[in-house]
Amino acid sequence: MRTKSVITFFLSIVALLLLVGCNTTVTEKVTIEFWHNYSEGDGQIQVLETLITEFEAANPDIVVEHVYMEWSALKDSVVLGSSTSVLPDVLRGDIAFIPQFQSLNVLVKMSDFEDYDTVAATVLAAPNSSNKMGDDFYGIAANTNTKILFYNETLLNAASVSVPTTLDEVWTAASALTSGQVIGMVEPWTGIWNVGPYIWSEGGDVLSPDNTTAEGYINSQIVVDVIQTLADLYAEGSLAGPSMNPGATGDTDGWAAGTYALQLDGPWRESSCIAAGINYQAIPLPAGSHGSVSVLGGEDFMQFKSSDEAHQAAAWEFIKFMISEHAQVEMAKVGQMPVNLDALENAEAIAALPLLPVFAEALQTAKARPVIPQWSEVENIIATKVAEAITGQKAVQTALDEAATEIDALLAD
Amino acid sequence: MISQAVIKHKKKRRTNWRIWAIFLPGFLFVTAFTFYPMIKMFVMSFFDWKIGFQQVSTFVGLRNYIDVLSDPTAHIAIENTLVYAVVTVPVQMILGLFVAVLVNGIRKYSVSFRLAYYLPVITSWVVVALLFRYIFATSGLLNYFLVDTIKLISEPIGWLSTRWAALCAIMLLGIWKGIGWNMIVFLAALQAVPKDQYEASDIDGASRIQKFFYITLPNIKGTTLFILVMLTIGAFNTYTPVAVLTAGNPAHQTEVVLTWMYFQTFSALNFGYSAALSIIITALIVIATIIVFGLSAKKKVTHYGK
Repeated sequence: MRTKSVITFFLSIVALLLLVGCNTTVTEKVTIEFWHNYSEGDGQIQVLETLITEFEAANPDIVVEHVYMEWSALKDSVVLGSSTSVLPDVLRGDIAFIPQFQSLNVLVKMSDFEDYDTVAATVLAAPNSSNKMGDDFYGIAANTNTKILFYNETLLNAASVSVPTTLDEVWTAASALTSGQVIGMVEPWTGIWNVGPYIWSEGGDVLSPDNTTAEGYINSQIVVDVIQTLADLYAEGSLAGPSMNPGATGDTDGWAAGTYALQLDGPWRESSCIAAGINYQAIPLPAGSHGSVSVLGGEDFMQFKSSDEAHQAAAWEFIKFMISEHAQVEMAKVGQMPVNLDALENAEAIAALPLLPVFAEALQTAKARPVIPQWSEVENIIATKVAEAITGQKAVQTALDEAATEIDALLAD
Repeated sequence: MISQAVIKHKKKRRTNWRIWAIFLPGFLFVTAFTFYPMIKMFVMSFFDWKIGFQQVSTFVGLRNYIDVLSDPTAHIAIENTLVYAVVTVPVQMILGLFVAVLVNGIRKYSVSFRLAYYLPVITSWVVVALLFRYIFATSGLLNYFLVDTIKLISEPIGWLSTRWAALCAIMLLGIWKGIGWNMIVFLAALQAVPKDQYEASDIDGASRIQKFFYITLPNIKGTTLFILVMLTIGAFNTYTPVAVLTAGNPAHQTEVVLTWMYFQTFSALNFGYSAALSIIITALIVIATIIVFGLSAKKKVTHYGK
C-alpha cells in the first residue's frame, strides 16, 4: 500500500512537470531587464513606462522590464551581481559608475557595435566622453547635467546683497548673507564633484593631464588657496554641509527652511525649490581667474557582458530608442536634460526646462572628472582630506600634501 | 535471550537514525550560514580578492593585515570602538542593576516600570538613532532648549560636529537603549537570590548597603559575567547608531570598526582589507572575552552559606 502511494506520488510529479514543460511554447520574445534610478516624484517613471509601451509596440519581439533602484543601491547591486552574474541587460546610471564597473570587468565595449559611431554622432560629444576609457567607449550618454549657482532671491534682497558676478564675489556674498539663522552657502560633500568647479575656475587641477600623478596638482598653491577660502568661510559659519559637519541640516531641508542662500547644484535643486515654494534664481557659476568651469554630471546607458547575444542586441535597440529625439524630448519634460542634438533645439524641450539655456551655457565649459578605474577611491581620499582641511583639523597644505601622497601610491599600484 | 539482544540492537539503530535526522538540518544550516562564511573570509583575508566578472584573485599573504595595522583611519576606528565599549558596557550594567534593584523592591506598578524601561530596547535602532540625530543636530532640539528656552548658552553647540562630542552622543544613545535589557536580566537574577540570606543578615544587623554588597552582588555573579560578555561583544558590533548619527564623519573621525569595514567593502571594494580587519576584530573580541573570564575566575568566592 505504501509503495503504491509513493509511486503514484512520483508519477504525478513527473506528469505535472511534463505539462509545465510543454506549456512554455516558443514565443521568441526576448525580455530585457533595465535597471535605473529615474525618480518617481518628478513623474519620470510614468514617462518611462509610456516610452516602454511605445517601444514594445514598435518592436513586438522585445519586452522591457524596468527595475527602479536608488542611486547607491544601483551601484551596490552591480557590485554584488558581478560575481554571480545577476546583472541587467541595460542600466542607466551615473557617469561615475563607468570606470568603477569597468574595473569589475562587467561592461560591454559598446564601441564594438557596428552602428555605435553613427549613433554617438547624434549626441553631445562632451557628455559622451564620460564613457571613453582609452580609445574605447563603454556606454553611451543618456542625459547630462552640470552645476549652476542657485540663490534664494528673498534672502539676497533681505540682506541687500547683489548677485555675484565673479567667484570672489560669491565668497563675499556668502559671508554677507550669514546672520541669524541664515547660512550663506551649503556644500553637501567635499569631493571633486563639489570643490572641483572652484579649483578649475581658478586654473588649478586635480591630477596631471595624463591622470598619473597628483603631486604638484592637488597640492598646488592654487588649490591650497581655494580650499583655504572654504576653510575660512566654514570657520566663520558661512559654509555648512552634512559631510563636513554631521550636525548641519541637509541641503534640501535647509533650502526649504530658508536656511541656505547659495548653492552650486544641479537641476534637481530647481524641482525641490519649486516644491518648497522658494523664490530662487540661477546663474552659471561666476567666473574665477580662469573662467567659469563647472563639473559635468549626468547618466549613461551601459550594457553587461553577462547578457547573451540576443539580449545584447535587444538592449542596444532599446538604448537607441531612448536616445532618439522623441524619447529625449519626453524625458526633458520631466527634468532630464537631453544629450540628443536635435532634442536640445526642440521647442517643447526648451519650454519644459526653463533653466535649459543657463545649463546649456554652463555645459559648454563644463569639465568631466577623470575617467580612470581608481577614480572613486581617489575622490574619496580627496573628500576626506578636504573635509579635514575645511573643518580645521589639519592645515590645508598638510592635508593636501597627504592627499597627493596617498593618491600617487594608489595610482602607482 | 538472543531475540532480546536482537530487539535491543534494532531499537538502538532506529534511535540513532532519528537523532541524526533531527540534528542534521540545523547543523547544515549553521554550517552554511556561519562556519562556511567564517572560513571563506579567513581565506579571503590573504588574497587581493576580486569579485568582478571572470576576475582572478591573487595571493598576497599578510599584506592586507599590514595595510590594516598601518592605516591611520583603521586606528581611529579601533580606538573609537574601544572607547565605546569601555564606556558603555560598565555604565549600562551599573544603571541597569540600579534600576533592577529599584524595580525589584516595589510591589505595585512594577510591570509598568519594567515596560517603560524595556521600551527603548525593542524600538528600532534606526528610529531612535534618527531621533537622537534630530535632538543633537546643531539646529536640533537640545540646542533649542539650551539657547532659546533656558538661555544657558548664546551660540548653539555642534554636538555632532567633532569627534569626541559626537562619540558622547553615540555612547549616550547606546547606554540609553541598553539599560532596559540589563534591567530585565538582572531582575531575573535578583529574584533568584535566596531570601534566607537577607533574613540572616537582618539578625546580624546589616544595613541596606551592606546587604547589597555582601549578599546581592556575590549571588548574581554568574549573571554579571554573562551580561559583561554579551555587552562587550555587542559593543564591538555597533553599526547603526554611528551610521545614522554621523555616517563616520567628519572625515572618518567617528568611524567604528563595522562602519569602516562597510565603507571599505562597498565603497572602496577592498574585500581583502575588510576581511583582514574583521579577523583582527574577532581576535580582539576573543582576547577581551578571555580577559573578562580570567578576571572573574581569579577572585576566590567566599562561602556565604548554601
